[in-house]
Amino acid sequence: MEMPRVERDKEKELIARAQAGDRAAFGALVREHGDEVYTLARRLVGDPHLAADIAQEVLIRAWKALPHFRGDAALSTWLHRITVNTAWTQRRRARRHSGLPLDDFVEIAAAKGADHPEVAGEVLELRVRLRRALDSLPEPQRQVVVLKDVYDWSHAEIAEAMGISVSAAKVRLHRARARLARQLEESA
Amino acid sequence: MNVLCEVAAPFVANSAVEGSSVARPFRAHADECLKCQARHAAMTRTARELAAMSQETFIAPLDLEWRVMSALQGDLAVARSWRTPVAVSAAILSMAAAVLIWRLRPRTQS
Repeated sequence: MEMPRVERDKEKELIARAQAGDRAAFGALVREHGDEVYTLARRLVGDPHLAADIAQEVLIRAWKALPHFRGDAALSTWLHRITVNTAWTQRRRARRHSGLPLDDFVEIAAAKGADHPEVAGEVLELRVRLRRALDSLPEPQRQVVVLKDVYDWSHAEIAEAMGISVSAAKVRLHRARARLARQLEESA
Repeated sequence: MNVLCEVAAPFVANSAVEGSSVARPFRAHADECLKCQARHAAMTRTARELAAMSQETFIAPLDLEWRVMSALQGDLAVARSWRTPVAVSAAILSMAAAVLIWRLRPRTQS
């Protein structure tokens, strides 16, 4: 989703101030992007506590790297890349955690279909199965599915973030989707 | 179970997500096979659901900003989450308990 011009200008100003060492400005950026970073981290690793630790580390890394941020990409895109790298380097820790409380899905599905309870039930059922199927994927496969099919990254972006070739990213995605489809079919 | 359906399954899943045709070697089969069509439809729905996930945001823990800003101010004990201090405290307590047990052990006279 494209950011309105006023907000974009305001963000640019906050970035410039933060790059000059203004921590209050960086705090405002953390408030603006914290949920987004946390959401991606949570989708990548599953565990809410680990995702919170990753989000924290991402934002600390972002502060340290901010002087090198040239603004070629949007700040959110840049933060997404740091999140993927951070989640990837913490994959060993991530492997020890898995699963997501069912309440999250109930909350999301209820919000989504509040006016249509029958739809909410259907969405919830698919969401729960989908999340379980995603969780059951080996982590590298889960990450490519999340980045491509949820966040719409290109194969090249995924390859770069995960340190693999574009062909390897495509093969991994192909296998991951096949496995996801199989898991969903088995759970139906 | 049709073996061709199983071989075609990954290609059917991918074509559903990509919104493209099934790879050529399996296209004719997938066009005719009800099972493959059902799988295609199910995966199309899954792809829609995956894409919809990008619009949803989880709310970050309320203390995230505080944790980040504390870390930036060099308060590492706070910033490195609660796990490290708890682990260190547990280790110190275990050592203290071991020393206490050693001191209180029954002594035999030689």
